[in-house]
Amino acid sequence: MISDEALMLEFQAGSRAAFEELFARYHKLLHSFFGRRLNNPERAEDLAQETFLAVIRAASRYEPRALVRTYLYGIALKLLAAERRKGVTSSTFGQLAPEPKIDRSPESVLWIRQAMEKLDAPEREILMLREYEQLSYSDISELLRIPVNTVRSRLFRSRLALKSYLESRATGDPDRRMSGGQPHTRRRGMP
Amino acid sequence: MSTDRHPIEQEEVMAYLDGELPPGRASEALSHLELCPECQTLVADLRGVSQELMAWEVESPEVRILSEIDVALVQRLKERGAPKVSPSRLKSRVMTSRWLWAGALAVLCVAVGLTLTLTRRNRNDERSTAYPSMASIEQYLISDRNAEIALARSAAPESISSDAKILVLGWRGYETAREGRNGFVCVVERSWMSPYSSAEFWNPKVRVPACFNPAAARSILPVTFKRTEMVLAGLSKAQMIDRMKAAIDSKELPPPEPGAMCYMMSRASHLNDSLGHYVPHLMFYFPLTDKAAWGADLPDSPVTLNPQFRDGPEPITEFVIPVAKWSDGTAAPAM
Repeated sequence: MISDEALMLEFQAGSRAAFEELFARYHKLLHSFFGRRLNNPERAEDLAQETFLAVIRAASRYEPRALVRTYLYGIALKLLAAERRKGVTSSTFGQLAPEPKIDRSPESVLWIRQAMEKLDAPEREILMLREYEQLSYSDISELLRIPVNTVRSRLFRSRLALKSYLESRATGDPDRRMSGGQPHTRRRGMP
Repeated sequence: MSTDRHPIEQEEVMAYLDGELPPGRASEALSHLELCPECQTLVADLRGVSQELMAWEVESPEVRILSEIDVALVQRLKERGAPKVSPSRLKSRVMTSRWLWAGALAVLCVAVGLTLTLTRRNRNDERSTAYPSMASIEQYLISDRNAEIALARSAAPESISSDAKILVLGWRGYETAREGRNGFVCVVERSWMSPYSSAEFWNPKVRVPACFNPAAARSILPVTFKRTEMVLAGLSKAQMIDRMKAAIDSKELPPPEPGAMCYMMSRASHLNDSLGHYVPHLMFYFPLTDKAAWGADLPDSPVTLNPQFRDGPEPITEFVIPVAKWSDGTAAPAM
């Protein structure tokens, strides 16, 4: 299987087939990236396509220093930030929807989204980049321009906070305050 | 925290599961995890969160390149001049990829854009709703060691497996349960030996007994060990693929030796939820080989190309030939 980076270099050299292979590999992933962050499937698709447009326009400047995967999500994060600055998109997190749609998501997904909303934005982004985009700590560190140790500690905190919230389903108390990891992050062996 | 009780921090346990600890520290983490119920609970909690999050799937639209992109692409390629990819290489790749077949059609559709439709099979592969992520390690282990030994042996007739070396899966990977005398090695493989894109890559019910002949034990089994090691280290599929590529490039993993094959004749196997125990069969391994050389997948040919490594970096071609009997000598159903 030819690597993403080799495909990118082939595209740089003029291969359309290489671009199409990259598109096939990453379109769904990028659509999902935007889909989870914007409550607007059409806009998610637009932005996924815009990411590839940006790749085409910047192809001559691509250098194989970073993984293509990281490179693409870097572009996607910039497009997402620009979209949020416009403030007109119905966003899953932190933005108001002009016309809220009827959400037909399964209950489990609604719970996940509610839990995500309760996280601080930087922790949420780290968690999503890790869980859904499967980026490494160093990739996340590079993309968000924060130290690797910060990535790790925030990721840990957010996972435990999420666990606490998701567990509250059993008690039927969706308003239960998220622990932010407080009861869990104490060191083991301590009273 | 008492560092005597917990020589690794909780964050490090998480980092271990994420494949983010350096090898030495990962080894210490694994040693501690085997013995520490409290840390095992933390592992289960963290895996549980990841597993829950996988329920949030985003419905994907039809895969298509919009006309705007297509125009930009044409413009870019025009500016760039003729492709530098050699026509023969390009042709070869187009021939071997259904995606690139679609790509060739795209050239004809410059002005109006193009719709690329995934095949039904690819769509099914991507719908990994039943087993979206790794289950807890315990679910992949077989608690009864003797049962796993017997299951591994059931891959081949007794005349072969009784003298074979038997490996069983533990927390650290495969370990020797019985020494052998004939060079064969029998193991029970798990779901992560499926194609990376398989919807059942994380199916904890999968049990695939296989007895590898000496050539395969030397050159194919290391792939099983490598994938298993990465899974137990908590690596994601993307990380596994990257590291597998590196292992192949560095020659850590050898190419298939001539004559490498294995027996898979157990009636107790569970290949996946759709195939169940399938039929008894033999598998033959080669460096990347055109299936036409074996007449595989042709009408009435008993030889099929196994897709096990179709989407992975492992440069292995694998042919399957069904046989008439299970390893215990009883007749198998016809294909």
